[in-house]
Amino acid sequence: MRSIILILTFLHLVFQSIQGQEWKVPDDKKGRLSTFAFDDNTRMAGQKLYTLNCMSCHGTPGKSNYLNLVPAPGDPATEKIQRNNDGEIFYKISVGRGQMPSFRSVLTSDEVWNIISYLRSFNKLYRQQVKSVISSTAYPGSTINMFIEHISSDTSIVVTAYAEKESSRVPVTEAGIKLYVHRTFGHQVVDEEKVTDKSGRAVFRIPEKMHGDSDGNILVSARFSDEDVFGTSSKDTVLAAGIKTIPVSLVAERAMWNNVRKAPIWILLTYCLGVIVALSFIVLVMVKIRDIYIVGKYLENKASEN
Amino acid sequence: MARSLYNTDLYREKLESVSADVLRNVRINKGFLVWMGILTISLAACLYAYTIQLQKGLGVTGLRDATSWGMYIATFVFFVATSLIGMLISSVLGLSGTKWIKPITRIAEIIAVAFAAVAGLVIISDMGRPDRFPYLFLYGRIQSPILWDVTVVTTYLFVSLMLWFIPLIPDLAISKSRLEGRPGFLIKIYEILSVKWVNHDRQFQIMHQAMRILLILIVPLAFAIHTVTSWLFAVTPRAGWDSTIFGPYFISGAFVSGTAAVIIAMYFFRENYKLQKYLTDFHFEKIGRVLALVSIIYIYFNINEFIVPGYKLKTHEAIHLKELFTGHYAWLFWGVQLAGLVIPVALLLIKRMRKPLPLLLISIVVFAASWFKRYLIVVPVQGHPYLPIQNVPVEWMVYKPTIIETSVTMASMILVLMIITILSKLFPVVPIWEIAEEEATVNEEIEHK
Repeated sequence: MRSIILILTFLHLVFQSIQGQEWKVPDDKKGRLSTFAFDDNTRMAGQKLYTLNCMSCHGTPGKSNYLNLVPAPGDPATEKIQRNNDGEIFYKISVGRGQMPSFRSVLTSDEVWNIISYLRSFNKLYRQQVKSVISSTAYPGSTINMFIEHISSDTSIVVTAYAEKESSRVPVTEAGIKLYVHRTFGHQVVDEEKVTDKSGRAVFRIPEKMHGDSDGNILVSARFSDEDVFGTSSKDTVLAAGIKTIPVSLVAERAMWNNVRKAPIWILLTYCLGVIVALSFIVLVMVKIRDIYIVGKYLENKASEN
Repeated sequence: MARSLYNTDLYREKLESVSADVLRNVRINKGFLVWMGILTISLAACLYAYTIQLQKGLGVTGLRDATSWGMYIATFVFFVATSLIGMLISSVLGLSGTKWIKPITRIAEIIAVAFAAVAGLVIISDMGRPDRFPYLFLYGRIQSPILWDVTVVTTYLFVSLMLWFIPLIPDLAISKSRLEGRPGFLIKIYEILSVKWVNHDRQFQIMHQAMRILLILIVPLAFAIHTVTSWLFAVTPRAGWDSTIFGPYFISGAFVSGTAAVIIAMYFFRENYKLQKYLTDFHFEKIGRVLALVSIIYIYFNINEFIVPGYKLKTHEAIHLKELFTGHYAWLFWGVQLAGLVIPVALLLIKRMRKPLPLLLISIVVFAASWFKRYLIVVPVQGHPYLPIQNVPVEWMVYKPTIIETSVTMASMILVLMIITILSKLFPVVPIWEIAEEEATVNEEIEHK
């Protein structure tokens, strides 16, 4: 009993300290800004992402219907969360803390910004600051671009990064690149992070059984892992690199969980057979009772005739 | 050989004396009216509680998200269990040629009919929207054990009713001419239900055929009814219900509560209906042994049911078992296991304890413990869901039956008593022709010697 009290007290203190503790964001991350301006499109995209990834705990913004957890997840429309600046929210979503998971590998940075765009739509006082210059510190003054292609012969995807300045084009070398496939829930990381070679190429191996849509298409996204050095340039490309997949609905075939018309045959047979057998015996017994009556009636008539 | 007996003077003589003793109780007297009056008033009071539940919904009960099956379902399982005794007595013992069961077969069938009939109603009391009950048949899924349960409970009720009715036919024919002074409607009912029975050998032959079919049919049916009831629990993956032996565990437990119910009824009819001549100490001695036997079998299943998960102590099983063994339900659990099973068995092994009165007292304790046992099977498991809920009021997590719920449960018990009263007061409670047959055969054998 004493040990239980001790454990409870300890847990209480831990929770209190977590609740009381300020969630500190490193100074160099605080100032981070979106590279694009928030508009209706980003807000709508953010709402979709929010519904998929955040709503189960944080509830609908403005309704305070977040999950009853300790510490409380909180409603993102409230002042407590809105007083964070963009960089702070970006950091908190990306890194996570305690029960709040890290979304770094689930969402791309653009997607996190879309979510922030949605959250800010609940804050009338909010005025967005956009990062004015989109450029990299490694290739000052250049626009960095990427090109993604599918090498079907050796089942790999090649990402080529190059920096363009005026009319000259140089390969971006020694840059770490990550490749993702867009999935219904978050992103699937393809292979591991690759560093571009001298010609600016990074080669990613497509895993076996990479499922695509009904035409075998997948939507891939490449981005630099160090966005501070190479910028937030990214590239979304549809490639026919996946296996053609026609999803089968879970209620398409006969199954235990399906409705009665699609019940497994064996269970239909067993049930019906059981009912028929029991009923036929019952009917047989009813007939017997009728027989008793007929015999009695016959004997009664015979007696009255005599 | 026995059939030719039905035309002998000896048989007629026995019939005369037995029917005189038995039919003495078949009448609508003051006692019956007062008793039914008390039951009706109590039922009305309890049904008032049900109207509150109907208006306000299941929120007036202690049922919440976590514990959504409470007293009602425990009572349902208990009723289904108790009704199984009809099969054990008439069929298992009857088909094996056990003679002493003859005077108590009808009591066992009355109990089977009464409890099976009300079990279905108890399920409806657990429904927040009873008006949607027909949906079960309109949109029911054959994959669901609930549909199987409704099917077998209904079939079992019907077959039990036939098992009560068919051996009653000769008695109705015998009685209808001996019912002077009883209300006309009763004599009319006897006339219709006796289906022109004239004690002819051919009729006896047909009746025996019908009985044989039913007695065989009722065995798989009774096993099905209670196994399916156990599957309502065992097909879910919850710790405490997720057990492969729930079927036999339930059936063996059913025989315990059913036998106890029969003993209580036997004692009551023996004393009140003055049937000491037919329900003798010998019968109590025998049924006392049956109670000991079925209790020992049930103890075995209990040991198996608790030691296997108790040895492994898987995370969630451990929480559940701890709650039963040393936690919130410990008093109830050990009370039920010791006072309701172990001590009764120890007592029943002593011959003196199988006399009517001590046996009655033991049976009352066993019977009450059987209800609590069902409560322990149904309720505690739900207190520990796999997905815990935090920061909710205690009453959402810890189930506590309300007065309304208890009253509605009482209503179902009153209904059982009413059905037993009607069936035992308006119709012969022990089979007249079978006892006359038995006595005549014994006399004949003595004469032959």
